[in-house]
Amino acid sequence: MPAFFWMLDPFLIWFYRITGYAWVDFFLGTLVLALIAVILGEFTISLAFLAVKKHIDQNTEDTVRYQNLSVDAIAAKDKQAYSAANKLANEAFGKSFFHQIALSAAFLWPIPFALAWMQYRFLEVDFPIPFTGYSVGYIAVFLPVYVAAYYLFKRVKYRLPFFRRMKVILDSYKDQAKEMKTFADLETRPGKPADAP
Amino acid sequence: MRKKTFIILGVMVALAVVATLTLAHTAQAVSVEQAIAQTPKGTEKGQLNMDSQPGFLGIPGAPKPFWFYGFLWAIWVGWIFSTVGAFGGIMAGVGHITIFGLADFGRAFKKTSPMLNKLVTDSIRVSNQWMVGLSALISSTNYYRMGRIVLPLGLFLAGGSVLGAFLIPVLTAGKIKLSAYIGYFGLCVFAIAFVLYYDTTEKGQAGKKAAKAAAKAFEESVRSKDPAATGVELSGTKITHFSLTQVKFTFFGVEFSFNPLWPVVGGFFIAALAAFLGIGGGFLYVPFLTSIAGLPMYIVAGTSAVAVLVGMIISIFSYMVIKGVPVYWPLIGAELVGIFIGSIVGPYTSKYIPDIWLKRLFVILAIYVGIRYTTKGFLGFSVVPPF
Repeated sequence: MPAFFWMLDPFLIWFYRITGYAWVDFFLGTLVLALIAVILGEFTISLAFLAVKKHIDQNTEDTVRYQNLSVDAIAAKDKQAYSAANKLANEAFGKSFFHQIALSAAFLWPIPFALAWMQYRFLEVDFPIPFTGYSVGYIAVFLPVYVAAYYLFKRVKYRLPFFRRMKVILDSYKDQAKEMKTFADLETRPGKPADAP
Repeated sequence: MRKKTFIILGVMVALAVVATLTLAHTAQAVSVEQAIAQTPKGTEKGQLNMDSQPGFLGIPGAPKPFWFYGFLWAIWVGWIFSTVGAFGGIMAGVGHITIFGLADFGRAFKKTSPMLNKLVTDSIRVSNQWMVGLSALISSTNYYRMGRIVLPLGLFLAGGSVLGAFLIPVLTAGKIKLSAYIGYFGLCVFAIAFVLYYDTTEKGQAGKKAAKAAAKAFEESVRSKDPAATGVELSGTKITHFSLTQVKFTFFGVEFSFNPLWPVVGGFFIAALAAFLGIGGGFLYVPFLTSIAGLPMYIVAGTSAVAVLVGMIISIFSYMVIKGVPVYWPLIGAELVGIFIGSIVGPYTSKYIPDIWLKRLFVILAIYVGIRYTTKGFLGFSVVPPF
């Protein structure tokens, strides 16, 4: 076990020895580990978002602009303008999409470290799947516990000042998202004119 | 609608799990212990020196990729993701194969221990998949929450993806030699280099310039009027013709057509390629959906994320739960940190380096990587340095 994990090991393993019941302790300890991973991830992705907010805003602006243009082109039945605007909207979206994929690493990075420590400690532990001849290991237990930890933390997250501030910033984007036209905006009911976008 | 969504997704995942479980016997990856036991012991090339320090996968004498090199390489990957975009996953694979010395180590056992050779290949593919798969999960969740996913279309595409992503790991885990993997990876990098190169040529640039001009002209023409209030009844999508080879539909009065086999076949091949090489298929889905199917960005946005996510979940599940292929976690962790640092640095540098020059840089790198990997994989030696 590398030195980094040796330092954390006594603290992390303590949570696996609370009740004395193996199954309960394993899930409790894994839940604490997952919670730590979630909190670290939420903190770093918030910082990453603040650092590149302007770039994200620019990408989003381009995407919304060309998407709205493509909706207007369809409404005007201009296929050439629609194809042009749609192509540009997809390019802008593509940049935004891959940038988002890279940024999501800011949320996910604690997971492999958590799994690395679990591998050193629990590699030999098998969890049989009921009614099958198969069993799974520590990864199959950690991942659903991580999802549970994510939702648990989400309920209390906005009581912390840092995340409350992040919520205010993110809520301001909801208005921007509403500005993106959808094709549903063009739909009419029989006898009714289309609503203005 | 949300309940229906979860039910459909749950059924899909359950089907994939059951299918994978029942057909898992067709190709069994070997465990590290088995591969080590079957490898000759000694100090010669192609033998394992059991007195050596354990390295990659716990194999005695294997290189131990220093996490810092992985971290530095991942900064480069994150930088590419946030500037050019699609090429990042390829660069991750390049790192795992070359930078960390894993290719040369695995190749040493080509003749003496084919099992060990193939174990290294599988682990590299899984390491790549984990990085991209986890990220696709976040994107898909966000797009779903924003309501940008059109689920039926995404599932249609994902159907082909599930098949490709499920079949390839089951059929090939433990069967692909490292040299073949490197060769095919090189060919894929070549293909990407040509696509990127085309984008930097006059013809490629002309297409984008024409699109910008057309969009600008239309934008100026609608500034003075409200195009939606035309008084003409518009009614969304209507299928006007359906056959096995062509679907024609009007989309708010404008006619489009595509071959319905394309989404399934395309989804299959893109997912199979992603599962076989261990690199994300995301960069192929977006151009595929827009150029083949002509779909609006609104639909492509979340749909491609869903298709990537489903393909990733299935192939990673097939590798990890059933096959038990080990992953070197600390390296993945350091790489994720590097990727998000690179993705923060990228937007700042793109202010000073124009898009087209970034693409040209990557084309040169991609051609070099493509030549090196293709020749090393299929000929056994590289025609470009380091030989």
